[in-house]
Amino acid sequence: MSDADKTVHDVIIVGAGPAALTAAIYTTREDIGTVLVERGVPGGLAAVTDRIDNYPGFSEGIEGLTLASELQKQAERFGAVIEFGEVTNIHDEGEHKRLETTSGDMYAKTVLIATGSDYKKLGIPGEQEYYARGVHYCATCDGAFYRDKRLVVVGGGNSAVQEAIFLTRFTTHIDLLVRSTIKASDVLQHDLQKLVDAGKITVHLNTTTDEIIGDPEHLVTKVVGTKDGVKTDFETDGVFVFVGLDPNSQFIKDTCIKCDEIGFIMTDEHMQTTMPGVFAAGDIRSGATMQIASAAGEGATAALKLREYLEARPHPVQN
Amino acid sequence: MVKNITIFTTNTCAYCVMVKKYLDAKAHQYDVVNLDEQPHRQAEALQLSGSLTVPVTVVTKHDDSKEVVVGYNLAKLAPALA
Repeated sequence: MSDADKTVHDVIIVGAGPAALTAAIYTTREDIGTVLVERGVPGGLAAVTDRIDNYPGFSEGIEGLTLASELQKQAERFGAVIEFGEVTNIHDEGEHKRLETTSGDMYAKTVLIATGSDYKKLGIPGEQEYYARGVHYCATCDGAFYRDKRLVVVGGGNSAVQEAIFLTRFTTHIDLLVRSTIKASDVLQHDLQKLVDAGKITVHLNTTTDEIIGDPEHLVTKVVGTKDGVKTDFETDGVFVFVGLDPNSQFIKDTCIKCDEIGFIMTDEHMQTTMPGVFAAGDIRSGATMQIASAAGEGATAALKLREYLEARPHPVQN
Repeated sequence: MVKNITIFTTNTCAYCVMVKKYLDAKAHQYDVVNLDEQPHRQAEALQLSGSLTVPVTVVTKHDDSKEVVVGYNLAKLAPALA
């Protein structure tokens, strides 16, 4: 393709979660042409979170799906374009970046990576075998299948406790398996305690999750764990896993963009990665706090910094 | 050729919203089975998809053959609608 044939966008944002959409609100309001490329759902993990109580401006909290939808509408109101597809590589070609995507190559003067993260897997026997047949990572998607049934929820952070609380609307009982201690916020722990007192949730501290076992019909029947050093069976109809986050950075593994040892992208204080003109913001960034409010703030910062980068370019590309 | 489309959903499923938006954008009509409102149809969703998850999109062709797409998976949904 010749230079005359290709469209070079001012900025391509990889992802469409809170960091990406916030950045898009800022860039489009400054007439910076902005295209977002999203492989899943606009809003990212926020969109599949039942309720968000710590995002400022919503005194009674807000449903994750509603927040995601409003962010998307706000960005689109100013001209942001969301395309659905997956970016598989990024190349620095000097004047512009070339992004390989599942729909073909795309070009941009600057790129913002805001691909976020996905829930981490346990990596134990039975987890992959019973995926979506009793093993789940999205309570708002799959919780309804466990009406009047027992569940195990694995994890002790904010997500695990929040989603366990959500799942009690369906279940008769939840065993919450926590490897060490509960690390959720005080507010969530308070809500959790009320459900523990009501007999809806039993918390098992110092309990590892070792194996997921099913029946001949290939549905989950129990989880084997180790509680205080003793093997323990937890009879259940399903398992929901919320044990941390894995970065969605696989697509840059062959680039010069530097990641930390886990795979989160390293940036300087201007959100600039080690590839000039490529920025990163939100949960994908090394050192991020994994909070939606922080992601939005990082998205705004990245937008302002990539605008400075665009203004400082010595040889603007002519579209 | 598509005869009809049914989507199994729940009230809180973000991926279900995406499937519906995609079908709307392609001007396809579809029926919705909301499993929060019709929990007795969960077994039907499981039988069709082999999974305890939503969205499940069932595309019935004019020869009454069915294609079942689990999740928000455009790589499978788009050809199923062709």
